[in-house]
Amino acid sequence: MEKSLKFYLSLSLALLLFSCNDNDKESSLVYLEYSESFYQGTKENLNLLSKSIELDSENVDSWRELSIPFLKRGIPHLWKKNMDKSIEIDPKEWQAWRGYNYLWFYRDYKKAIADFDEADNLDANFIAQAQGHSVDYWRGIAYLGLKDYKNSNYYFDKLIEKETEETGEDWVEVTAFLFNGIAHYENNNDSLALHNIDKLLKYTNNNYADGNYYKALILEKNGNVKDAIELTNLAIENYKEGYYNYRGYVETLRQIYMEDLLLLKERLTKKQ
Amino acid sequence: MNLKKILKISGIILGSIILIIVALACWSYYMYVYSLVPEGEKFEHSADYIDPEKALLNDGFKVCNEQHIFQYYNPERATYSEGKNGLRKFVLSNYKNNNYIDSGYLNIRFVINCEGEAGRYIIHENNLDLEPQNFDKDLVNQLFEITTQLKKWNPNFVRDEYRDSYMYISYRIENGEITEILP
Repeated sequence: MEKSLKFYLSLSLALLLFSCNDNDKESSLVYLEYSESFYQGTKENLNLLSKSIELDSENVDSWRELSIPFLKRGIPHLWKKNMDKSIEIDPKEWQAWRGYNYLWFYRDYKKAIADFDEADNLDANFIAQAQGHSVDYWRGIAYLGLKDYKNSNYYFDKLIEKETEETGEDWVEVTAFLFNGIAHYENNNDSLALHNIDKLLKYTNNNYADGNYYKALILEKNGNVKDAIELTNLAIENYKEGYYNYRGYVETLRQIYMEDLLLLKERLTKKQ
Repeated sequence: MNLKKILKISGIILGSIILIIVALACWSYYMYVYSLVPEGEKFEHSADYIDPEKALLNDGFKVCNEQHIFQYYNPERATYSEGKNGLRKFVLSNYKNNNYIDSGYLNIRFVINCEGEAGRYIIHENNLDLEPQNFDKDLVNQLFEITTQLKKWNPNFVRDEYRDSYMYISYRIENGEITEILP
């Protein structure tokens, strides 16, 4: 009898704790949802996220959300602490994202590649993604940052081949052609650089400043100054119209500016 | 009064009532959510906050709206007057590696006011693993001095007005050399 009583009491306690735990998890999600009613990084937003985590320390979305304001505001140690916690809880979802952050906000190409590789190893049947692109795309960029052109081209070629096969070449992200072309150009492989830049220009109707700029550089190398000037003028027009590669929060890799285009034009004009 | 007029007036009344109900619902929701913000808060300020009392070069520095300082990226960037290339050129041509052996990120956060002036600086020092560390004092002083010499900025422009915004410059340093200037 006494044993049964103990058993039922323990069971009731366990059920009570389990239900509290479930309630806390639900409340945590509610706090996360409410945190989105305030601008990212405001005191209210941060405190609601903090409460969400207090209720459920395994709420990975709250940890990740809490990391981002510090990433965008240049406070590295507070970003890292919270982002690392996200990966501890759900590496499949967030490992590639941390790599993406290392790549753009810290230009730590080695750490970014390590995260992309790790993310890719977590699921053999699936290429990990972050910010709408596969880790192959991000690895291509990270290796370009390292000036490891061979690996950069390897990942871009892999990506382009796969996407062409699955959805068609016109669905490939155009900057994959751009960065692949730049890696070939910097590796003095002009014909492959031109091949990729031409693809970029094909899918942007020749309206892409970076494409026309790099094509002009290749033509300049080959002594075709007249056509290079024409393309530079076109690149200047593209740039004025906002058709160039850039990112929202940070400078992109090999970002071109109007002064780069004007300098090229000046140099080419002198050669004429 | 003809039917058309009656319908028109009824429509206006009904529309106004719906509008008031929607506004009330939004206000109630907002107040409800606001009431959920925990008391005895862990965060006393927004993520970007720089305490004017603790900040460097804040004396005489004025912001246009202390209550609403935007982010540099939002929505039209606050930028250096000579562009990113100009900023890079200025920093790199003035910085000298005095046999430093430090590596890490030296981040300097500050405010660009609505007139394009910079002030209210704060420094964060982290190693390459993004953990807090102290750099060589001379290196910090040198980069702080150079950064504060970046005087003219294009202020953020939001809803037809120039606004104040938070800005930061992150120097990635490897063995005393600046290898990246972000963002």
